[in-house]
Amino acid sequence: MKVAMPHMGHIYVPLRTLFREVGVEMVVPPLNSRRTLTLGAKHSPEFVCIPFKLTLGNFIEALEMGADTLVMAAGPGLCRFGYYAKIQERILRDQGYHFEMVTTELFESKLMGVANLVKRLSNGAPTQKVLAAIRFGLAKLGTLDELERVLHQVRATEAEKGSADQVFQQALAAIDGADSRAALKEIKNRYLMKLQQVERDGETEPVVVGITGEFYVVLEPFSNMDLERELGRLGAEVRRTTFVSEWMKFSLFLNAFGLSEKDRIHQAAAPYLRRDVGGDGWESVGDIILHSHDYDGLIHVAPFTCGPEIIAQNIFPAIKTRIPVLTVICDEQMGRAGMLTRLEAFVELLRRRRARKGLAVAALVP
Amino acid sequence: MEIYLGVDVGSVTTKLAALDENEGLVGSLYLRTQGKPIVMVQQGMRDIAECLPAGAVVRGVGTTGSARYLAGVLVGADVVKNEITAHAVGATHYVPDVQTIFEIGGQDSKIIILRQGVVVDFAMNTVCAAGTGSFLDQQASRLSMKIEDFGRQALESQMPVRIAGRCTVFAESDMIHKQQMGHRTEDILYGLCEALVRNYLNNIGLGKEILPPVVFQGGVAFNPGIVRAFEDTLKTKLIVPPYHEVMGAIGAALLAKEEIESHRRETQFRGFGISDMSFHTSSFECKACANICEIAQIMGDGKVVARWGGRCDMWERTSASVEQQA
Repeated sequence: MKVAMPHMGHIYVPLRTLFREVGVEMVVPPLNSRRTLTLGAKHSPEFVCIPFKLTLGNFIEALEMGADTLVMAAGPGLCRFGYYAKIQERILRDQGYHFEMVTTELFESKLMGVANLVKRLSNGAPTQKVLAAIRFGLAKLGTLDELERVLHQVRATEAEKGSADQVFQQALAAIDGADSRAALKEIKNRYLMKLQQVERDGETEPVVVGITGEFYVVLEPFSNMDLERELGRLGAEVRRTTFVSEWMKFSLFLNAFGLSEKDRIHQAAAPYLRRDVGGDGWESVGDIILHSHDYDGLIHVAPFTCGPEIIAQNIFPAIKTRIPVLTVICDEQMGRAGMLTRLEAFVELLRRRRARKGLAVAALVP
Repeated sequence: MEIYLGVDVGSVTTKLAALDENEGLVGSLYLRTQGKPIVMVQQGMRDIAECLPAGAVVRGVGTTGSARYLAGVLVGADVVKNEITAHAVGATHYVPDVQTIFEIGGQDSKIIILRQGVVVDFAMNTVCAAGTGSFLDQQASRLSMKIEDFGRQALESQMPVRIAGRCTVFAESDMIHKQQMGHRTEDILYGLCEALVRNYLNNIGLGKEILPPVVFQGGVAFNPGIVRAFEDTLKTKLIVPPYHEVMGAIGAALLAKEEIESHRRETQFRGFGISDMSFHTSSFECKACANICEIAQIMGDGKVVARWGGRCDMWERTSASVEQQA
């Protein structure tokens, strides 16, 4: 059996580890590229969102590499993404591919559901072993996210653009290869240090730009045209509101105990929106209010035709205390030049706004 | 005399402005880009050089507009800035207390919100042409009318008709319908002005707090029909500043002056001789990964001066080193 899952950021690293630990071969298709998108879009309904197109492209590229079992998130609690597995399965069968489609209902099944799925795919590996593999995978995920947070900071002030990313790529490969918790820990410390040692210049206090919006396009750099890297290049420090490790922690474990990371966000959103509108629309509204004091500005990313985020976007203008918000719509038709112009103007706006705030404070102090 | 140049290369028009050391406008140009930005920048530089008094020395040059990087490489820009910043800086120069800027050009339109001289919010139109100059251009030519006469005639309207304006396609069929029903041309024209204004305010103006003074600039500000439609809708007087059509170029020149003065450095201006250099562009597909990026390459007198277009830094870095060697 050869298992494949779609890409989303660097989540393939912990997944590959998880499957390797229980003796299942995983096929990792090439990272998202023009080709992936072209393949996916060719077989997709035109107005479906970019996550559908890219994940379908991933499946096609994985099948070309010999994958025979496709794993996809599904089920209620998402948005129309919940139905994508079913539709993609039919599209791929129509194309003549032979495979088994396995769906995981993370929202429903929690930790044991995932464990059972892994158990099934591994032809009945012992539960103990499955749980250990999940823990190791999660540890890798956590390490990656921790390094990425530092990457976001270093990028903004690095002396030579791209040097922090080079270190991160090395870290990614090292983490992928790590075969024990001890080795992982050593790699984490080594690369945290390397990242901190990247030569810096530029502003000492760069403007801080938050990123919120739909889960997939926030996390998959190809879908948002490397938004985070471009912001770093412009000298802005990125604070992403979503990390997979955080989200996993809640959806696999804590939600089962009635704990939700989202309560706080929903409370913040309450004056404007008091119900789930599907996807991450509710959270996008909440994030803008929640972070109006600690970020200079916020970028809201949404797939083209995304219902929940369109609702959120139309609420933003009504929010009184908000910081500047720029909505970036992600689609295969999106032009890179147009996006870069907007980002550049946005960062400039934040910088001048902050300079003025500084002036106002200076004026008050005699 | 010391001169600061601003070059704004837009999709439809290329604008140049020359300011003296006191930030007074010495000369300006408004040309059609005609899909040939390199040629137009070269021609513009030749023409603007003729506007300058004898003994004028260029101290700095800035570029803006959608071809700002290309123009920046051609002229040797000291500063390359996005259109939002350039337009805001230009408008504040003439109307220091401006709080709202409407800018409508050939293929894009913007709204810029300023408070106390600082940009606090902006929006640019995304994929829709129904709020831009091309929309009017197209409809004027369909009525076989010069775009320059459009506004004057629209102002003669007594009983404007309502034109569906969400999309150029709907607008056009609605205009034909109204025309075949026997409505007067001026009423249709003013109806079209109102449709464009409605579109602009509903799309990029959505949720923006439009406070006076409102400055209206860009090529479409030449059209008095649009000015009146805005004023009727907003119940506010619009300021169309002098040189509004070259405001982005003026802003770029001011930004160049700011850059040179704050860093006390020499300009990187290549000189007016660039008009006689031979530049040409070519492109190739980079096969280093599956993204197959199209890399554009700009050659000046046989040497590579710049490369760009990739998703990664690979070619931009190469071009930097190529330039150093050259």
